[in-house]
Amino acid sequence: MVFSSVFFVFEYLAVVLLAYYITPLKWRNLVLLILNLIFYGWGEPVYILIMFLSIAIDYTHGLLVDRYKKRGEDGKARRTVAFSVIFNLALLFFFKYWDFIAGSLAAVGLTFMPKLGLSLPIGISFYTFQTMSYTIDVYRGDAKAQRNIINFGTFVTLFPQLIAGPIIKYKDLGDQIDHRDHTAVRFASGVEVFMVGLAKKVLLANGLGPLWEAFRDMPVEQLTTAGAWLGIVAYSLHLYFDFSGYSDMAVGLGRMLGFEFLRNFNYPYISRSLTEFWRRWHISLGSWFREYLYIPLGGNRVKGLRFFFNLMVVWAATGIWHGASWNFLLWGLYYGLLLAAEKFFLGRWLEKRPVWFQHVYALFFILIGWVLFAVEDFSHLGPYLAALFGRAGGGVWNENFLYYLRSYFLILIIGWVAALPLAKNVWNGLRERTKQILLPLLLAAGFLLCTCYLVDATYNPFLYFRF
Amino acid sequence: MNKNYARFICGLFCGCLGLSAVANAMTPDKTFSEIENRNLAQRPTLTADDFKLDWPMECSGDFFTGKFMSDYETYVTDQFAGRDLWVAGKAYAERILGKQENNGVYFCDGSTLITRFDAPNEERLNKNIGYVSQFAEKASVPVYFGLIPTQATVWADKLPNGAPNYDQKQIIDQAAQATSAQFVDLYTPLMAHRDEEIFYRTDHHWTSLGAYYGYEGLAGALGYSPVPLADYEKTTVSTEFYGTVFSSSGVRWVEPDQIDTYVPETPEITVTSYTYDAKGNPVEEPRQLYDESYLEKKDKYSMFLGGQQSLGVVRTGNTDKPRLLLIRDSYSDSLVPFLTPHFSEIHLIDLRYYKMSAAQYIEDNGIDMALVLYSVPNFVSDSNLVWIGR
Repeated sequence: MVFSSVFFVFEYLAVVLLAYYITPLKWRNLVLLILNLIFYGWGEPVYILIMFLSIAIDYTHGLLVDRYKKRGEDGKARRTVAFSVIFNLALLFFFKYWDFIAGSLAAVGLTFMPKLGLSLPIGISFYTFQTMSYTIDVYRGDAKAQRNIINFGTFVTLFPQLIAGPIIKYKDLGDQIDHRDHTAVRFASGVEVFMVGLAKKVLLANGLGPLWEAFRDMPVEQLTTAGAWLGIVAYSLHLYFDFSGYSDMAVGLGRMLGFEFLRNFNYPYISRSLTEFWRRWHISLGSWFREYLYIPLGGNRVKGLRFFFNLMVVWAATGIWHGASWNFLLWGLYYGLLLAAEKFFLGRWLEKRPVWFQHVYALFFILIGWVLFAVEDFSHLGPYLAALFGRAGGGVWNENFLYYLRSYFLILIIGWVAALPLAKNVWNGLRERTKQILLPLLLAAGFLLCTCYLVDATYNPFLYFRF
Repeated sequence: MNKNYARFICGLFCGCLGLSAVANAMTPDKTFSEIENRNLAQRPTLTADDFKLDWPMECSGDFFTGKFMSDYETYVTDQFAGRDLWVAGKAYAERILGKQENNGVYFCDGSTLITRFDAPNEERLNKNIGYVSQFAEKASVPVYFGLIPTQATVWADKLPNGAPNYDQKQIIDQAAQATSAQFVDLYTPLMAHRDEEIFYRTDHHWTSLGAYYGYEGLAGALGYSPVPLADYEKTTVSTEFYGTVFSSSGVRWVEPDQIDTYVPETPEITVTSYTYDAKGNPVEEPRQLYDESYLEKKDKYSMFLGGQQSLGVVRTGNTDKPRLLLIRDSYSDSLVPFLTPHFSEIHLIDLRYYKMSAAQYIEDNGIDMALVLYSVPNFVSDSNLVWIGR
């Protein structure tokens, strides 16, 4: 089930809010658990079993870790954590990477792994990471073990962020699972954030997607340099609004149910270095890898080659997390190298350059990165990159490029402004009274417009499903 | 945000959800959308069979494959209260954004909507050309083959500047070269009259005028001398026609088309559609050259020969003339009236429904010549041409 559909907004969400708020406080987690399972099972009911398995394994392991720690048996506690991590990774590996590895091995003549052709359970990359954080947090003493299995199940399956993040660590959510306030102020701000997210996804992301697809699918000999740049700029905005819109919707839905999630994006395209970009893009993933992989590997404490090696491991993992395909690994390593360069020397050099140069530098490498990310077919990747740098079959530009530029000009401008903190700053600068009048009008207008687009699109796939 | 204002916002949001829930509950489900000209999805039901679990997963019942759920989502969207208004709202929003295309339809000069035409699937195209050749080799009578270029090519100058568009001429040339049937060029006669109203502005078909130029173009091959257009009196039967392209575009701001006819319907001409009833018994259904009852409906183009049929026979009363077999798409429906003076019988086969041997049909019915006539977009995408090769 995707958030940006008529069914979700007008039926599922309405039922959720009704059922949740007519239920007495102490039963709400149970109701939420049931609603979460319906959400997850919608489409692929059998995969609910994975949820049950995840809940059972992680719940018991959390309790075991807690018990061993209290008895002072550190070795056993560590082994239990290790087992739980292995279980989660095995789940992820089996469903997401098995066929990829089997296919890659078969390509070099090794056929001992048969292709399984299983469909990827939605959100598996997100929830396995969330449940992994639980036993680790309990072991580290950052969170208490959850004794109530209903509450634990609610954490594992929590629908707003189940399938597309943000990836929430147990220590940030555990207390809220046990106890949270349902206030009108929180609900109203949830409505606000949800609506912003819905508009980002439905109006901007879906509006810009076809522009990218037009250039992606264009035969190489027709591609122009201007067109290739237009295409990748469209993709950058498309992906940002798609993903951050989804995260906003998650945050908003969470607030409607009394939860407070951390934000996942913070205007990534205003970054002045790639290090800064990764502090602003998909923040929950970056912080997950930092906390559970980068720091355990040695973090900033190791030096030289070892540091470089650790960085590459973390970025290879980040890359391949995004999808079981070689281009994602390439994309991860690309960032690994660039970030290493920034850490070793480039960062210091860059700081002395003018601000505009820093922006151009960051955007340039971000855009090239998105080419690696978006073009999965390696045979198409080379020609597309070549087209960007002037070796395009269709020349520098043509009528066709102008057609697309004209057709998408306004939405590109709107997207560009929306990707900057500008609108937020203007909004914050308004008088309180003005805001109070404008807010309901903007919400209603956004809701009406989104409904037009949702009703028009009978099917509306969400981009991050593959991840 | 103070508490009371927050309550107001909550109320507004929940009110909207509640209101649409009530509106949706009160609006009865529609089976057919006039404006989209298609059946709308109906509420899917679950039976015991849908809970069958099997391996591989695709063989399970609808519940476990998720088909039930996706059907249900489609149903909710299709039956959303005020659907047509929402869809129109989206088209307006797109126009304000400066888009010159919506749902695969270009907004063109002069209140004209043209369906986008993209590069065809080469494999399908080559196969389809091959099937026609097979038929030509198998049939005992001469087989002619024509492809009708559509608006996207003939009216290419009306498209927005630089709009992506694949030239149908390439496909026509490819077919002309590869086929072993006798190819008839319809591109040249239509291009010669491109400044006239030879296509509808809101529908994908050619107008009766366009069909007349097609009829002229076929004359040499089929061996008749065409009746001059001036000999016919133009009759305008409708000025309220919004066609298929109008429907798929979602736009609501264009002028309606008008439908004209030229050839008068005479009592000598009979049209019979051969079909089967619910029990599978053959049935003969009388039809007309122009079925004016369709003019009251959305689908007004179906007035020509009464719309879709598997097999139809037009008997003209000119018993001294040859018999023509026409293997065709719906463009031929408005062409047939012009052919009536030159043939004794015109047999129409639609391969989407007629699955028996066409070569055998020629033998059984004393056909003198056959014409395979398709519009280019239909020809490149049709998956039923395999049936004429048989």
